[in-house]
Amino acid sequence: MNTLKRVFESPAVLTLIHYRVVVILIATLFLSVSLVPGLTEFRTLSLSLDRTATLGVVAVGLTVVLLMGKLDLSVGSTLALSGIATIGLQDQLGPFGAAVAGIVVGVLAGVLNGFLVVTLQINSLVATLASMIFLRALCHFLTDSNPISGDDPLFGLTVSRALGGTFSLRTYVFLIAILLLFIWLTYTVAGRRLYAVGSNEHAATASGIRSNRYLFGAFVFSGFTAGAAGVMQSLATNTGSPAFGEATALTAIAAVVIGGTRLEGGRGSALGTLGGVLVLAAITTTLEYESVPTYYQNIVTGSILLLLILLDRIASNSPRSALSLNSLLSFGKRDETPTEKKQEGKVP
Amino acid sequence: MTSAATLPPRVTEEKTANKILGWIALPVGILALLVIGSLLSEQFFTTRNLTNVLINMSIVGIIVVGMTFVFIVRGLADLSVPAMVAIGALLTLSLQPSLGSLVGALVGILAASAAGLINGLFIGYFRLNPVITTLATGTIVLGIAQAAVGGVIVYGDDPALQSFLTGRIILGIPTIVLIFLAVAVGGHLLLSQTIFGRWVYAAGSNPDATKASAVPLNFTKAAAFWMTATLSGFSGVLLALTLQTARPGIGTGYEFDAITAVVVGGVSLLGGFGNVPRAIGGLLLVTLLSNIMVLNGIPTASQGLVMGALIAGAVALDVYLRRRGGAA
Repeated sequence: MNTLKRVFESPAVLTLIHYRVVVILIATLFLSVSLVPGLTEFRTLSLSLDRTATLGVVAVGLTVVLLMGKLDLSVGSTLALSGIATIGLQDQLGPFGAAVAGIVVGVLAGVLNGFLVVTLQINSLVATLASMIFLRALCHFLTDSNPISGDDPLFGLTVSRALGGTFSLRTYVFLIAILLLFIWLTYTVAGRRLYAVGSNEHAATASGIRSNRYLFGAFVFSGFTAGAAGVMQSLATNTGSPAFGEATALTAIAAVVIGGTRLEGGRGSALGTLGGVLVLAAITTTLEYESVPTYYQNIVTGSILLLLILLDRIASNSPRSALSLNSLLSFGKRDETPTEKKQEGKVP
Repeated sequence: MTSAATLPPRVTEEKTANKILGWIALPVGILALLVIGSLLSEQFFTTRNLTNVLINMSIVGIIVVGMTFVFIVRGLADLSVPAMVAIGALLTLSLQPSLGSLVGALVGILAASAAGLINGLFIGYFRLNPVITTLATGTIVLGIAQAAVGGVIVYGDDPALQSFLTGRIILGIPTIVLIFLAVAVGGHLLLSQTIFGRWVYAAGSNPDATKASAVPLNFTKAAAFWMTATLSGFSGVLLALTLQTARPGIGTGYEFDAITAVVVGGVSLLGGFGNVPRAIGGLLLVTLLSNIMVLNGIPTASQGLVMGALIAGAVALDVYLRRRGGAA
């Protein structure tokens, strides 16, 4: 037990644990590059990024919700509903108007979640479960459970076609969304308040932050990104289907958590989410190239997720959890304070 | 109202009216559904239909018993249920030709139970977030279950056991319903009559105080998740034996069905409150409602419009009553 403890408290291991997201990302990318020939080729890279862009946009919105210590299970249903609006309203509103309507649907779904969680004070897990079931049923009700297709398949190509030989439009949307989220969370007052509310809602309220508005806003934002993702997915496939996005919520939550965001709230970052999405993309591309069945992919993804939350637990429980470059540089001068590790945090 | 100055007093007598409303809402709802169902459809109040309702309830019901413990111990929810159902179902039928149904069933339950131990270890002892942990273990277990049978649909061949489970053995009640009732009664007694049950309530009400009182908090939490996984595996076994077919997605949606039932039954997600009969009552209400909608020609896929509203309404009412009752 003691040797294990010492191993886990050695600076090298702690550094690895601290930068676990980067470590996992580099490891998976390295594995992908060595297993998939031509992955570094721009076209391949662009294509595999394009495939994860939709999930990535959903993950951007979920990052904010998870940062606040809440959950949003309804993003998959929102994605499907907004896709149905985007395709189904094309006759009435034209392709652009319908796309806007799709995003509005997403925002409205977010408002519904905000109403349930903030106004009615329902726990977010149950509230978004209810809206997930409700919106999914609405999709089936509106379409009679049949996928609908649009009139103009060429219009949608603009979303998934590479722009000027670089990335596709939706990849750009995803990358720009990550960039904006990064700026929002890192450099703005609103971003800092988000973390404050996520860490301790009552303390934030007591310090004069309107916590409820931020909570409400987080759900609206998540609905907005899910709506945008639904617009992109339905346009790219020229289809609006009530079956779209059935696994999206759980996969996106996995991506965000792999990126280091904690479900308890208060911790997470835009770049982490980018890393999490890239890890999942790399795994999928590699295993598909090796024609490994999906269920093995699930085992790999699940194991990485479990490993990362376990490492997160170890990192936050260790006496040196506030590991910085400074403390690394002063390595050797081990402080003599008795370790106050909690029993349950120890790795047997 | 969120500032510290207006926090409700620590101890408040719950208003009698609220207390009564909290207790009679569910039975009244179920009675109302029985009346409405009989008025809307002639087939509703027949032995055959009500027996079907009971059979439909039984599979989810066994999971609901476990999920109730998870809710009360403040474990949020167990999202690995579909994987546990699938591993129980897939192993039972794939081992049936070589080992026979009963041994296959036993292996299936043991596999789910072992996975439940992992859930319990991570959530109870390592204090990982239950939602993300069960999401991860569920993904892994489902992957392993599929890999074990090659990712295909498994067919069984044991009509004798099938008819035994769905056949009416005692007083016209199908065996599978009796099994469910036995599990429910067992779960109820465990929760209401034993020391472990008291630990479950204590752990859910106030974890810190519970720990200070030398209650094995970690063990209690772990046990709740282990139980849910084992019961889910058992439920998967019964499902496979009654259908004599199992596909990897066989358990999809069972986690949400179980959560819905528990929530509609008024068991609090915040822990410390609720019991097995309430959860079963919630399940009965949901199943009856679904049955009435099916009899009146509303497709299953669209029933979520009502179910979603029901979940939100039930919890909103619960939150409202608690706030008025002073329990915040």
